[in-house]
Amino acid sequence: MGDSILGQATKRATRQATDLFDKMFLVGTLFTLDKLLNGLAAASEEFKEELKEHYIAVQLKTRDNKVGRLVYFRNGECSGKDGIFDEEADVSMVFEDINCARRVMMGQMLGKEEVFVSAAKNGSLWLIGPDEQAMWFSSLLLKVFAFDVLYLHRYGTKMPNGEMRYVTGTNGGPVFVYVKDGKIIRVTPMDFEEGDATPWSITAHGMTFSPPKRTTATAYALGWKSLVYSPDRVLYPMKRIDWDPNGERHPENRGISDYERISWEEAFTIVANEIIRVRQTHGPGSVFWSRGSHHLWGNMGYFTSAANRFFNCIGASSVLNNPDSWEGFAWGATHHYGGAARRGGVEPYSTVEDCMQNSEMIVFWSSDPESTAGVYAAQEGTIRREWVKRLGIPVVHIDPYFNSTAAFMGGRWIAPRPATDAAMALAIAHVWLVEGTYNKDFVEKRTIGLDKWAAYILGDDEDQTPKTPEWQEPITGVPARVVRALAQTWGRKKTYLAAGGLPSFGSAGRTAYGTEWARAMVCLQAMQGFGLPGVNFGGLQYGTPLDSHFWFPGYAEGGFSGDYIGSGSGVQVYNRMPQSPSLNSETQQLPRLRLPEAIIEGHAEVNNMSNYSVVGQFGKVKYPAPGHSEVKMYYKYGGSYLGTQPNSSRFVKMYQVDKLETVVSQAIWMEGETRFADIILPACTNFERWDIGEFANCGGYIDKSYLQNNHRVIFAQHKCIEPLGESKSDFDIFQGVANKLGLWQAFSEGNSLYDWTRRHYSATRMNSIMSWRAFLKKGYYVVPPLPESRRDPVAMSWFAKGIKKDTPELPPLPSEYYGRYNEGLSTPSGKFEFEAQTLKRFDPNDKERMPICTYIPSWEGTASELYEKYKLQLISPHAKYSFHTMGDSKDSFINDINEHRKLIEGYHFWIFRINPADAEIRGLQQNDLIEVYNDRGSVICALDVTERIPKGMAHSFESCADYRPIGTPGKSAEMNGCINNLTPDRFITKNAHGLAVNSCLVEVRKWEGDFGKWKSC
Amino acid sequence: MEKLLMIVDLAKCVGCFNCLMACKDEHVDNRWLPYTDSQQKHGQKWIDPTRHERGKAPYTDLCFVTRMCQHCDEPHCQKAFPGAVDKRGDGIVLIDPNYAKGNRELVDSCPYGMISWNEELNTAQKCTMCAHLLDSAWTEPRCVQACPLRALSVIKADEETIEQIIEDQCLKPLTDGSNKPRVLYKNLERYTNNFIAGALTYMDGKIEMAAAGAGVRLTLNGTDLLETETDFFGEFKLDHLPDDSGTFQIFFTLDGYKPLETEVTIEKESVCLEPLQFVKK
Repeated sequence: MGDSILGQATKRATRQATDLFDKMFLVGTLFTLDKLLNGLAAASEEFKEELKEHYIAVQLKTRDNKVGRLVYFRNGECSGKDGIFDEEADVSMVFEDINCARRVMMGQMLGKEEVFVSAAKNGSLWLIGPDEQAMWFSSLLLKVFAFDVLYLHRYGTKMPNGEMRYVTGTNGGPVFVYVKDGKIIRVTPMDFEEGDATPWSITAHGMTFSPPKRTTATAYALGWKSLVYSPDRVLYPMKRIDWDPNGERHPENRGISDYERISWEEAFTIVANEIIRVRQTHGPGSVFWSRGSHHLWGNMGYFTSAANRFFNCIGASSVLNNPDSWEGFAWGATHHYGGAARRGGVEPYSTVEDCMQNSEMIVFWSSDPESTAGVYAAQEGTIRREWVKRLGIPVVHIDPYFNSTAAFMGGRWIAPRPATDAAMALAIAHVWLVEGTYNKDFVEKRTIGLDKWAAYILGDDEDQTPKTPEWQEPITGVPARVVRALAQTWGRKKTYLAAGGLPSFGSAGRTAYGTEWARAMVCLQAMQGFGLPGVNFGGLQYGTPLDSHFWFPGYAEGGFSGDYIGSGSGVQVYNRMPQSPSLNSETQQLPRLRLPEAIIEGHAEVNNMSNYSVVGQFGKVKYPAPGHSEVKMYYKYGGSYLGTQPNSSRFVKMYQVDKLETVVSQAIWMEGETRFADIILPACTNFERWDIGEFANCGGYIDKSYLQNNHRVIFAQHKCIEPLGESKSDFDIFQGVANKLGLWQAFSEGNSLYDWTRRHYSATRMNSIMSWRAFLKKGYYVVPPLPESRRDPVAMSWFAKGIKKDTPELPPLPSEYYGRYNEGLSTPSGKFEFEAQTLKRFDPNDKERMPICTYIPSWEGTASELYEKYKLQLISPHAKYSFHTMGDSKDSFINDINEHRKLIEGYHFWIFRINPADAEIRGLQQNDLIEVYNDRGSVICALDVTERIPKGMAHSFESCADYRPIGTPGKSAEMNGCINNLTPDRFITKNAHGLAVNSCLVEVRKWEGDFGKWKSC
Repeated sequence: MEKLLMIVDLAKCVGCFNCLMACKDEHVDNRWLPYTDSQQKHGQKWIDPTRHERGKAPYTDLCFVTRMCQHCDEPHCQKAFPGAVDKRGDGIVLIDPNYAKGNRELVDSCPYGMISWNEELNTAQKCTMCAHLLDSAWTEPRCVQACPLRALSVIKADEETIEQIIEDQCLKPLTDGSNKPRVLYKNLERYTNNFIAGALTYMDGKIEMAAAGAGVRLTLNGTDLLETETDFFGEFKLDHLPDDSGTFQIFFTLDGYKPLETEVTIEKESVCLEPLQFVKK
């Protein structure tokens, strides 16, 4: 009883004290706002100019009208008076009560935005008034908290010579950016300081290896200055001259007609009006947005962040991407051993150390990490592959092209014809079965169904054909004795298999029935017992002994999107970074590989790729979706299909149909499909805006992808220079359109890109390591590796041992286990299934993807009819010197790399490679200009005659950035190297939405025609 | 005084072209006077890695040979134009931008072809070894700092130490060494020498097998040069054979089989033999 009275008295006293404090605080801070703003204006001319932008009065008050102050903004001067003057106010900021006001303001000051977000979500905080004015006032308040950074430019490191050293991230590694007088001077890889973390070391065969204290970079990282200052930058908003939103639209002239400069106000108005018109006229789904598979580096700017949030706000159809890098693994391998979250990819943990210590041979099969950098990992793996050279572990490379990894590492190069890899793999299994050189104990305990596969391989089934090394010789072109020798050695030695560059990518997986290659890869290693010491997947690219427990998000984790369905946000970011949720209420999707057909013909149907479950991929996605409209407006946000998508001149036809009433392109450079837009919104690069990121950390479908690095480097992405011309950050462009749609708070919560960057930082473990301001000054942090005793267990070793999974990986989802959770694989049997139960249940008679892995001849290969006309088998793997289209063309430095393009007659031509014997037959010589052609198109290239490719095959990288038809777009030869004008658009296998561009027949002849209008790239 | 030595290791060059990118990044649109004026964006390369292939598929071998100003101790360019070229105490050779203007003949004076003409500025230019950086706080030129494996590296040491390094690492000049270049190459054999590659087989019933572990002996004019064994593919590669080194005899042995021999003449190219088959004794 006494306690209760005392308790009540105490509570009352506390409440009174709190109220008093809140009131004083409010009077002391918010209500002296005018004085504070005047003070800041005195310190910064730039800020003073911003204060002049609006001539308004703002009422700050509590909802009960008990406390209030009116603040006047008059020509850059602020003044105020206490009290409630609603009739005078243009904008009102209303707090539920004084306590709420105090908590929100304190929260903002201390970087605890959850208070603000909660108040807004719970209806305890309102901003009332015309959008533009309300937004202006709100952003002004936020700028107060960032004044030292935004207006006094207190970030980065000042160098002795007066240059500022900033940091940013690229797809080819983080870089230091030296700036003087607002201009980028240089871009370099990062050398760490003495106080930065000491790197890990690995001891193997009596030698100790440790990586140098620096980051590596690629050409497409170091060429960035030339991309920022490219003459092809779009510097102003533009409108196609013969496109009139109120009159004739002339879709047939997309890609042909010129542009006129318009203002941002016009651009935002047109785009917003079109979004409303199209959606009100045609209904849901009528606005469609697409993106590339990559973006400029940074968690805030990546498409998973700002773009997801923006298009979720307006409601739009989205693109259904095929898993292009994983293709064979996603549609094939995953059925044997689960792992849908990694799209059939392998676990990476501690495999670098295991490989160096225990393996006796490494087979790189369709694996060229020296070119692909795994993904995003610059040349970190190069350091480790040099160690392997020193360790003397024998290496074999299987690839039609003598790739850069083979050239650097040495070892035997085996060059099967494209799309025949599965035949070679079957022959290897044949040798093992006949000679008994596989791990019978592992097969018995950890796998099922080898008998079914063995029957096919040995010829004991209806096929009656033993898949011997001799059987594969006429198929692959590789001598039987070479395959037999490889099989016998592999059967004897503990072998690491790098299937693909990451691994689990690989151009062999992008061939006709490339599923069978990827399936063969995992089946072979299952026969040898993957997860046992020295037997696993990897080529020193992925699985370094870094700290995988220090959480910092990758871009796939959604940035500030709040999209816990359309990104990886739901796993960690959403619950650590308070924000309002954002979801797309429109479910319509357009399959990327059938995008032209969907838009032109009005329908498409493909298999879905699920990240959640293996069997999810059997489901279909239909366009149009029920109750949705066909697409009428296309808002293109990055990505260059003309350079990257199969049979890509289809896209020209798509752009020119009148069904597409409006095409918007948000683009940095005038290249490729930018020229097919009606409205061009010029975006700036990430050197010109704020962001934050980690080296090679994408998260999501490549969980802990930073384990490709020698160091975990988390970095600020400083705004190094002002945006060029009138270009704006993607964020600000979206904000501009959102404002016109009344979505300003829905899109950004009124926060700027800088604000979100800081909020993102606060949500991560970095917040407990160093202050935001200290982080902004230094620009990066190197996460120390854990001591040797705390390194992660080796990937899949838990499976080999038959214990519970002990690698630090959350997926697969619990429901993906059919037996006990976390015991065994996410296959129906929990074991490795040589005969995949999921495929058997789906369709046991799908000849294009049987429950067991088989060899299926390509529809476009030496045995096909087309071969009569086109005698060269072309592969076009991921480019080495550009990151897909990023870095190519645009007058960049990269064009001067004579392995990327060749300078002939004043133009940098794309390179096409054939063997000297093939050149001789055709009367062609080194550096000839040639026309590469087939029924799908014609591309002019520079010829490289080289022993890097055997006779009968040809190599050219994919992903030329600009599309330059010498005549009518889509109907004439292309001269900038869009090799994908030639590649087939048929799916990898019929029940998959996957591409097979590396099954492509072409012919070449000397080019002697003219070129038309183009200047050099 | 300490001098600089640039080392180019062909075995560590992965052909990433970071050196070229870093050079362009540092010098295009940046004027580092009095060291040098800005580099032309395209068409001018102060550092130039070029691909060199040896052999035929599937025995292809390739490396990159990176050329830049050799910073010769007896620069031919300086002999030709004494007023225009400065040989610094640390070994760096610089062209005076004032003298280089309009002087196209400077381009022809370099026996390595590494002085190039800037059309836009009408001047002769070349690698400065980023002297403007080395004279401030930098320890390496940009090309080296960007090189992932330090296939390019610089050493700053007294002449005696440098001589020792040259001997220990078997560093060689790109050509004949006249003009005494201060850029030296490691593993230059990948560029200058040739190899002989081939495969040995035997029949096991109807199956052709790789003759792993077979003996391979290379001789020239009756003198044994090298003895080795085939790898598990039954293949061999006999490297480090200079141009025009003569006609070699190669002897092959495998237990239980009749020995084989063949003759190969090395001129200017590597030779890849057709497979040779052992026959039972």
